[in-house]
This record gives sequence, C-alpha cells and structure tokens, in this order.
Amino acid sequence: MLEIKGLCKYFGGIKAVDDCNFGVERGSITALIGPNGAGKTTAFNCISRTAMPTKGSVWLDGERIDKLRPHQITQRGLSRTFQISRNLADMTVLENVICQSRIGGWRDLMKPAMSSDEIDKAMGILDFLGITRIAYEDGSNLSYGQKKLMDLAALLMSDPKIILLDEPAGGVNPTLLEEIVGHIRKLNDQGLTVLIVEHNMELIMRLSHRIVVMAQGRVIANGAPAEIRENPAVLDAYLGGVLEEAV
Amino acid sequence: MMSVVSETLTGDAASSVLEARRAHNEKLAAKSDKARAIWFPIALLLLLLALPALQVIGNFNYVLHLVLFTACYVTMASGWNILGGFTGYISLGHNVFFAIGGYFAGMILARYGISTILMAPFAGLLCAAVGYLIGRVTLKTRGPSFIISSLALVMIARILFDHWKFVGGANGVALPANDLSVEWAKLPYYYAFVVLAAFSVWLSYKIKHSKFGLGLRAISKDEIKAESAGIDTRTYKVLAFAISGALVGMAGAIWGEYLTYIRPNIFLIILVSVNMVLMCILGGKGTIAGPVIGAIMIIAFNELFVATLGASEINILATGLLMVIVLLFFPQGIVGTLAKHHKLPRILNWD
Repeated sequence: MLEIKGLCKYFGGIKAVDDCNFGVERGSITALIGPNGAGKTTAFNCISRTAMPTKGSVWLDGERIDKLRPHQITQRGLSRTFQISRNLADMTVLENVICQSRIGGWRDLMKPAMSSDEIDKAMGILDFLGITRIAYEDGSNLSYGQKKLMDLAALLMSDPKIILLDEPAGGVNPTLLEEIVGHIRKLNDQGLTVLIVEHNMELIMRLSHRIVVMAQGRVIANGAPAEIRENPAVLDAYLGGVLEEAV
Repeated sequence: MMSVVSETLTGDAASSVLEARRAHNEKLAAKSDKARAIWFPIALLLLLLALPALQVIGNFNYVLHLVLFTACYVTMASGWNILGGFTGYISLGHNVFFAIGGYFAGMILARYGISTILMAPFAGLLCAAVGYLIGRVTLKTRGPSFIISSLALVMIARILFDHWKFVGGANGVALPANDLSVEWAKLPYYYAFVVLAAFSVWLSYKIKHSKFGLGLRAISKDEIKAESAGIDTRTYKVLAFAISGALVGMAGAIWGEYLTYIRPNIFLIILVSVNMVLMCILGGKGTIAGPVIGAIMIIAFNELFVATLGASEINILATGLLMVIVLLFFPQGIVGTLAKHHKLPRILNWD
C-alpha cells in the first residue's frame, strides 16, 4: 500500500535517512524501530512531507506522493501524529478534531466551521476513544496521554486509509498505554493500515505484524517480529539490551 | 473511517450516548447564542445611519467627521484583523493597500470624474489581486521575517509612489471636491464609510464562523500541524491576505476623495499601518468587536488629548502612555482579556 523507495534526507553532510527502502502492506500494523538517531522520525517526516526528502520516492496506492504538499497527502488518506503532540492551543478538543475533517473545495470554505454532522462524527470518534468528557476542554490543558488520544481522534476525523503514529506510547502511563494499544488493534481489525514508530519494544513485539529496523539512516532488517528477534544485525544495533528483555 | 467508528458504536447504548451528547451540544449552542448580542451592533449601525439627521438642526460636521474617521479605521482594523488576528501574521505594511486603493480610485476621479464611492469595490478587487501576488511571495516567511517583509513593502511602495510622475510624485494630485453645501458635503463619505465598516465587521464574523476561519485559526496556532491536518495553508493564508488587503483598499479609495487629495505622505506613512495594528491589539486581536473597540478608543484618545493638550508632541505621548496602561491590565486587548475571564459584557460579544 505504502512504498518507500530509495528515500534519502541529508542535513548538510549528515545523512539522517540514507537510501531507505521498505513497504507497508494493506491492513497490516508495521512498526519502524531503531536506536535513537536512526532516522525514524525523519523518515516519517519525509513520508508525510513535513520534511522534503533529498532523494527517493514515496508511493501510496501506486501514486507518487513525495512531490505533493502535506495537506494533499492527508487528503489522499495518509495521516500522521507527531512525536511531541502538536495541538492547537486556545481551541477545544472538538475544534482540534474537526479541524482535521475533510474539506471538499472552494465552495466548502464559507460553510459553518462545525456542522452538526461533523460534531456528531467527532463525538462518535471521541466516544470510541472514551474521551467525550474532555470534548470542550482547551486542547492545551490536557494531560500528555489525553493529547495522544486527541491526536488519534483527529486522525480518524480525516477518514484515513493509513495512519502514521510517531511514538503513541511515549510518556503515557501503563493503563492508558493498554487503552491505546486496544484502540490501535480495533482500528486495524476494521481494516485501517498502521505504521508506527515506537521505543517500547514489548509493545511493538505484541502489536505489529511486521517490523522494519533502521540504524544510521538505513533499513537493516525487515520481517516478522519473531525473525527480528533472532536477527544478529538488529541485536548488534541495539547492543543486545532492549530486545532480550522483551523476549 | 466513519464506518470504523459506526461499526463500533452499534447498539442502543451507543446511540443513547450520542443522543445525550447531541442534546448537550444543542444546549451549549443555545447558551452561546444567548451570550451573544447581535442586536447591539445592528442597533449601533441604525443609530449611525440616522445620525446625519442632526444636520437639520445645526452643524454637527465635527461629530460626523469623527464617526466617519472611526468607521474608516474600523474597516481597516477589521481588515487587518483577518490576517493579523485570525491567521497570526502581523503585517506592518497594510497601508500599501490603503495607498493602492486611494490612488486607483483617486486617479479615476481626477481623470474621468467617476466618484470613488462607485469605484471602491473595484479598488478592493485590485487590492485583492495585488495582495494575492504579494502574499504568494511574502507569506512563505513567518514571524519576525514576515513583519520585516511587510515593512519592506511599505518602503518599496513609498519610493515608487514618490517618483511616479503620472500620479504626481511626492506632490500628489488634488481631487475635485463635491459641490454639495457645507452641511451635506460629508454625507456621501459618511454613509460610504459606515456601510463599509458594517460590511467588514459582518465579513469578519462570517469568516470567523466558517471552515475558512477555523483553518486560519489552526494556522495561527501551529502551521505545521494545520498543514498535516489537511488544511491547504498556503491558499488559506494568501486568501486571508487578499481579503484583508481588499478591505483596507476600499477604505483608502474613499479616503482620498474625502480629503480631496492623494499624496504619498497621507497614505504611505507608518502611522497608518501602525494604527491598524494598535487598534487590533488594544481591542483584542482575533475577535470581531476588538478592532471596533480599538478604533473607537484610539481615535477618542487622540481627540481628547489634542483637545486638552493641544497638537504639541505631548498629546502623542499621552496617547501612548494611556495605551501602555490599558495593555498592562488587558494584555490580550480589552475584548480578548474580558472574554478570557468570562467578564465580557454581552453587548461586546459579537463573536
């Protein structure tokens, strides 16, 4: 569904992402892991065009998307969250979510900001994530975990085909973590494709169907969780530590 | 994705939750409708439209001039607010549109004798087009860089107009005055400005409550997030720039004929653009009533201090001092700060 071919991103002489190739299958949960500085978030940024790739191409359903502008990519059905949750201050959770609802074209611009259909849809999503009670809270007054849930709600508002989650579990308490995992599973069961960057190895092993391992900007391994666990190159990249604990 | 959620939400329990939510939403909407006083600006407008009747019993030209002047600045500040308040791009160069509108309509009046009031909408269109082109270039920058780019715009325009022989260079062009008697001479401009001010407040309201306005607010908070949320930030910003330029341009068109003179140092002085910004900041950036309150206050301060302290430099000092004091207590502008503390009187809640 999503194909990344020869993706490179250089910052001056630093090769943050260097000839990165991998694909995400429709309906799968694919994890992108790697030690700090491996280029995971940069790769994410290049895919969603928050950053401009230096070289290479990204394909979504056979369409090349790396030349499109970020909002066009979102309109094609690829939505992302940010590692440090970016939310719109002084706007309620509901407004934050409805911001992400799709707009048809010029004629829609002067339509009411929040139609009752959209409010119903947003409320349905918030209900699905169990956070309707914060719908009228200011987006900046939320706890870290609530912000992550709000991000997820906003993603769902844009009717995505594939979602890119950048560390959805970072800084989230264990109870909420289970909740988020449950939501991701449920969404995936209903056919949503997920690409996820995460440091919590135990969660990745449990959740994902395929794992792509990056180190120093390159993909060093790509396979099912069981294969990745045994892969000497991966163990080497992580210096053995984290993965063995997870096993 | 709707399918995903609705599948999860089948069953009576879910629908009753949604039902309760909908009732709650309607209650909230009704409450915000009740807190809003749409009747007040309308009543104010009607009052202003009736005000010239005073001319029958005496000469109130000074009062008319003050209202007209305020309405001119309400138009400009509301226009500025669409870019500076809603979108968060502070422009110090909006008097360029004031000049373009003024010169366009003024030259047509001087050459062909067509009233600027009729030409004002076309001046607006011209300014929108110019704003679109300038916006495509300057709106790529953000924050301080954008402010500097807007200042550069004023400087470029000033040099151009100062040396453009066709429009009289630095000396400008005198425009014919209308031939109405002195009591009624101000009336066409008075009505034009009051209607224009009402139009810009109405347009601000419309924009703020639309998808476009929500997008602009998202851009002002976090542009990268807005972009990845699927908002075409470039088009939105440029459109906001064009609309705000058009409003300022329409005000400029009529202002030229009212003064019967167009000259660079009427339109292209920094005071004009700074006034727009100050009015919005004082009244409350990003609110509907803010620019109106700000315009009324700054013009009232100016008049008060000119009257009491004379047109020395001290009146400017006093206006500045008073503004500092107001902003000390109302850091987000009068309307903004009161709204934040839920103390906004209903008559000022136009949002």
